Amino acid sequence: MTTLKVNGATYEVEAGVRTLLSVLRDELGLAGAKEGCGIGMCGACTVLVDGQAISSCLMLAAQASRREITTVEGLARDGNLHPAQQAFIQEAAFQCAYCTPGFVLSTVALLNENPSPSADEIRDYLAGNLCRCGSYQNILRAVSTLSRAAS
Amino acid sequence: MAIGESVPMLDSVARVTGAVEYLVNLRLPNMLAGKIVRSAVPHAQLLKVEVSRAEKAPGVVAILTGADLGPKGSYGVAIRDQGVVARDRVRFIGEPVAAIAAESLDAAEEAAALIETEYQELPAVFDALAALQSDAPVLHEAFPNNIFKHAKLRHGDVEAGFAEAGEIFEDTFTSPPAQQASLEPHVAAAQWEGDRLTVWSAAQAPFMVRRVLAELFEIAPEAVRVIVPPLGGGYGGKGHVRLEPLVAALARQTGGRPVKVVLARAEEFVTVTKHAATITLKTGVRRDGTLTARQITIYWNGGAYADASPLLVPAGMVRSVGPYRIPAVRADSYGVYTNLPPAGAYRGAMSSQTTWAYESQMDIIARKMGWDPLEFRMRNLLRSGETFATGEVLHDVHFVECLEAAVRDLTLHPRPLPPLPTESVGREGRGVRGRGFAVMMKSTTGTSKSQARLKLSSDGTVSLFTSTVEMGQGAHTALAQIAADALSVPLWVIRVVGPDTALTPFDSTTSASRSTSMMGSAVTAAARELKQKLITLAGPILEAGPEALRAESGQIRAAGEAIAYTDVLRRHNLDALEATGEYATALSLDPETGQGISTPHWHQGAGAAEVEVDTETGKVTVLRYSAASFAGRVVNPRLARLQNDGNVIYGLGPTLLEEIIFDGGQVTNPNLSDYMIPSFRDAPLELSSVLLESEGGHGAIHGIGEMTLPPVAPAIANAIEDAVGVRIKGLPITAEKVLRALREKAG
Repeated sequence: MTTLKVNGATYEVEAGVRTLLSVLRDELGLAGAKEGCGIGMCGACTVLVDGQAISSCLMLAAQASRREITTVEGLARDGNLHPAQQAFIQEAAFQCAYCTPGFVLSTVALLNENPSPSADEIRDYLAGNLCRCGSYQNILRAVSTLSRAAS
Repeated sequence: MAIGESVPMLDSVARVTGAVEYLVNLRLPNMLAGKIVRSAVPHAQLLKVEVSRAEKAPGVVAILTGADLGPKGSYGVAIRDQGVVARDRVRFIGEPVAAIAAESLDAAEEAAALIETEYQELPAVFDALAALQSDAPVLHEAFPNNIFKHAKLRHGDVEAGFAEAGEIFEDTFTSPPAQQASLEPHVAAAQWEGDRLTVWSAAQAPFMVRRVLAELFEIAPEAVRVIVPPLGGGYGGKGHVRLEPLVAALARQTGGRPVKVVLARAEEFVTVTKHAATITLKTGVRRDGTLTARQITIYWNGGAYADASPLLVPAGMVRSVGPYRIPAVRADSYGVYTNLPPAGAYRGAMSSQTTWAYESQMDIIARKMGWDPLEFRMRNLLRSGETFATGEVLHDVHFVECLEAAVRDLTLHPRPLPPLPTESVGREGRGVRGRGFAVMMKSTTGTSKSQARLKLSSDGTVSLFTSTVEMGQGAHTALAQIAADALSVPLWVIRVVGPDTALTPFDSTTSASRSTSMMGSAVTAAARELKQKLITLAGPILEAGPEALRAESGQIRAAGEAIAYTDVLRRHNLDALEATGEYATALSLDPETGQGISTPHWHQGAGAAEVEVDTETGKVTVLRYSAASFAGRVVNPRLARLQNDGNVIYGLGPTLLEEIIFDGGQVTNPNLSDYMIPSFRDAPLELSSVLLESEGGHGAIHGIGEMTLPPVAPAIANAIEDAVGVRIKGLPITAEKVLRALREKAG
């Protein structure tokens, strides 16, 4: 059995050699993370492990054992959306939204590391998340509003 | 007024919390996982598909092979040339030869490895021009020259036009196959209950899926129910019919258990592609700068099966002429079979390839003749009231304004951009900047129908039943805004339902940027009807005739008196009141001459680019891009601008990066590492967009889902020539191609 701590709750799962993504989606019913490419190129499966953005399609569930995992489902607090989620709505930073949970979590990780990212730092940090609908401009706006550099 | 407001998408909270129920999330009781076994050879007689070992594998419930199909087991939206799975012959690497339904995906995949196939290989052909040679292998015996569609346009005397031209230009432009690459892959689920079939599909055209499945299984269309949840991107790749026949046929063998198939990324590349195209334009110009004649020859590589190409090849012909006044035009647009995966619609369908050709050539002509490329275009652009090459008179066209808006937006930029941020070290003198632009004209669907139903409930909510597919473009939000506006109720009372062919009325397709315009018109008609019904019911209550009543702000109003819609229902003891609206057009061109009416309105867009070319490496960086489209009337400005933005980003892919590379029919880059789609780092540093409306903003709504995409490639190619004086005629414009051209130029 593997012990997974996801969004503050603890789960015992029969993970075997399955990826973290597969366990989150198929065992725990946390379907916010998506498989887009299966090889860590698109970022649709991004989750936070100990605060760091990782591709859950590349990590075995066993590797995440006992670490703090945050998925998009765990971002809201007391019924309020996370500021990153609010900013994405405010700036219309999504279209089909298949990539959005990944972008939102990468944004949270970015702001943890660097509360005042410049536009260029935002572009660089989020270059590992792909949005095929092409909402980058609005995503940049949304993340910029969260940057302390903006205020 | 809900129209004209930048309201967020209706389900925004679900979109940022990961709660959208895409089809990949679907779980049904007793659901099986399906896996497709695919051909490893490009062209062969299929001698054997041996399933006996796979059948005994743990967890396997059903296996579908060609032997399970009757003689009619083929489908196609126009030509029924594609087997649900291959029967006796395979025609491309990746063609399904069998499918397995098992208790888990792991079990299905393990069993798939146990299926043995035996082929007798046949000669194969991969290039459309090679497929036209007399000794080329024939893919389908019904089409002995491999041409499954030839669309023709004959307008004016082309030879006379060339005779009076001062100069004649002939250029060939190529586009490679590309992949639509929605992040959500193709996915479908199916379940049979007796002779009734339910399909959950990520298809852009639910009623087309229903028709094709009904034909295939020889059941009534009403016996097929197609449900389409929100899509994780479509871009034309999910237009028409793809996985549904196979999944439905597989589900027929499971004793009523549902089956779901989700494609792996690599499978996407053998499921549908953008048509590779070779386009030759011969254009005559007078020395005064007017165009005299144009001859267009296009070979579309349709792949091994016709799929949607018989519909797209004629559309591509209309979209190949360009928005210019040309007295004589002759066009031949050929759909050609080859041993590649089938091609289908790709955002900006066919226009992406054709605009690349005609807008590149406009700059080639202008430069050679010493004219300003903008003035040359302005002189020749079509205006309202003029006649297009199809013989139709143009109304409400604004090509001039679109191009002017994009160019003005780019060139009036207040400040020069600083040196490129992350790559400026050591670049001094290497980066050369230039500007270019392009404009485009695209038809939408000529013959199609949209119906909408509105249901006002006594609690005041309004359900909008529509088969328009929400795929991220915001169509459901825009339609709700149109409904709220037309019914004179607040947006928040509107609930959008569908698509579900058992509940929602007919719609031809969510494609060709037609939905906000055409489904929007159906919604408006339904609202008009519903208001009329309310007025009729309110008459006796307000003791006034219908001519004295009007529907306003959720009330039926007479002079000095008013009653809420909901009270009208209550007074008549009605739980709900419904009305249906329809919008339909039946326009077409003569198949021999291409003359007639091709579209209810024209898509119009333009783009202007500023690029920097690194002369040491050939790398092209797009610094700024301005996109303009004509919207007629903007329903939701922020979402509309997002369509413009998205088109530009999407268009940068095939312009600079994207090409499916085949080696002997085998895709060599079927993943998002070797096949790169634009990331944040590929987007322009500055991107702006302009939405043009009819005067007063009360014109007809025009589609805006694709308009700013086709200009991207030629605008960038034109900017590259402006910067460094080299002309690239084959997409994508890779650093290698630019560098090679720079070296050739240097001698």
